[in-house]
Amino acid sequence: MTHDDILTGELLDDARLTLDELAQACAAEPGWIIERVEAGYLCCMDAGHPQAWRFASAELVRARQLRSMERDFDANPELAALVVDLIEEVRGLRQQLSRARH
Amino acid sequence: MDFKDYYQTLGVAREASAEDIKKAFRKLARKYHPDVSKEPGAEARMKEINEANAVLSDPEKRALYDQMGSGHQPGQPFQPAQGWDSNFEFSGADAADNSDFFASLFGRAGGARRAGAYRMRGEDHHAKVDIDLQDAYQGASRTISLRRPRVNEHGQVVLDDHTLEVRIPKGVKEGQHIRLSGQGAPGEGGAPAGDLYLEIRFTPDARYRIDGRDVHEAVPVTPWEAALGGPIEAPTPSGPVTLTVPAGSQTGRKLRLKSRGIPGDPPGDLYVVLEVVLPPADNDTARRLYETMARDLHFDPRHTAGA
Repeated sequence: MTHDDILTGELLDDARLTLDELAQACAAEPGWIIERVEAGYLCCMDAGHPQAWRFASAELVRARQLRSMERDFDANPELAALVVDLIEEVRGLRQQLSRARH
Repeated sequence: MDFKDYYQTLGVAREASAEDIKKAFRKLARKYHPDVSKEPGAEARMKEINEANAVLSDPEKRALYDQMGSGHQPGQPFQPAQGWDSNFEFSGADAADNSDFFASLFGRAGGARRAGAYRMRGEDHHAKVDIDLQDAYQGASRTISLRRPRVNEHGQVVLDDHTLEVRIPKGVKEGQHIRLSGQGAPGEGGAPAGDLYLEIRFTPDARYRIDGRDVHEAVPVTPWEAALGGPIEAPTPSGPVTLTVPAGSQTGRKLRLKSRGIPGDPPGDLYVVLEVVLPPADNDTARRLYETMARDLHFDPRHTAGA
């Protein structure tokens, strides 16, 4: 069976995901996200009550990486955050390097 | 569909303990982690490792896999028998991206399968979409192929091919997501389906460096264009433009073309980075010109630089 649809998705710009949407997208409980925001490992755009928090779509990549570090290696949240920070740093440096090689 | 030997994928014996499996998985997950691995095909390998681990680290799934898999060799055609899973109830898995083999065994991306009035929204799925920088300027469409498990009228899990044509809107940035509502895993007991998240990645292009909506582009110029200045035509992602090189420019000089970066509100800027390229001294005329400069210009960059 084949379906052919032309879909126009919703472009998730800055500050578009709610707490529940971010949790669902990383197969986590909202409490898991809240703990990591409060510890400073994830950033939300607005302060205030968690239900008012909004997350940039780049934060989804970070949240999923934290989740996989904690799950795959039983990493504690601090260590998972450190690894994800380093991964982001390496990506940035690789970009600069490929630019410098040009 | 071919049989997959998950024990072989993780490099453990069939009687390996849970602890051995965990150790083997972690060792491989470190080796093939797509962000650090230099091994070719690390990303594909990591998917296989994740899938093998999703089955072998879960006692219920491992028991079922062992029961189904006895007597099969890797690569052999495989079809699970009807009613094979009637005594099992799965829970807790969140593996997306799994193979057809996995889907046929565990269905619905490994998610819960429960009878009765239980309602659960389908899992969200994730995929990456590679586009060119020019696509971000103009918008584009991409065809995405997905295989989706479905339970047929005989209670068997079959895979439907599903093709989605997705519009990539003008102005997308690297790392941004497009959400397609209801295109993730189907829900349970009449609950809504999950969403499909597409992460935008730009195909690497040595000419450009992209920073949010700002684009940096290296443009080669001749020594006389750099020294004397004047208009030059430069290719840019939105088409050729004429820009004025200031006299006395050197390699590395940046010219900002406002609002010529990735479109948006506000649009990004395009930074043209000049790169002076010397003509080769591979004929008499060129050599003579260099000799004239050497004689008449009294130029010593090491002296100027204070070296």
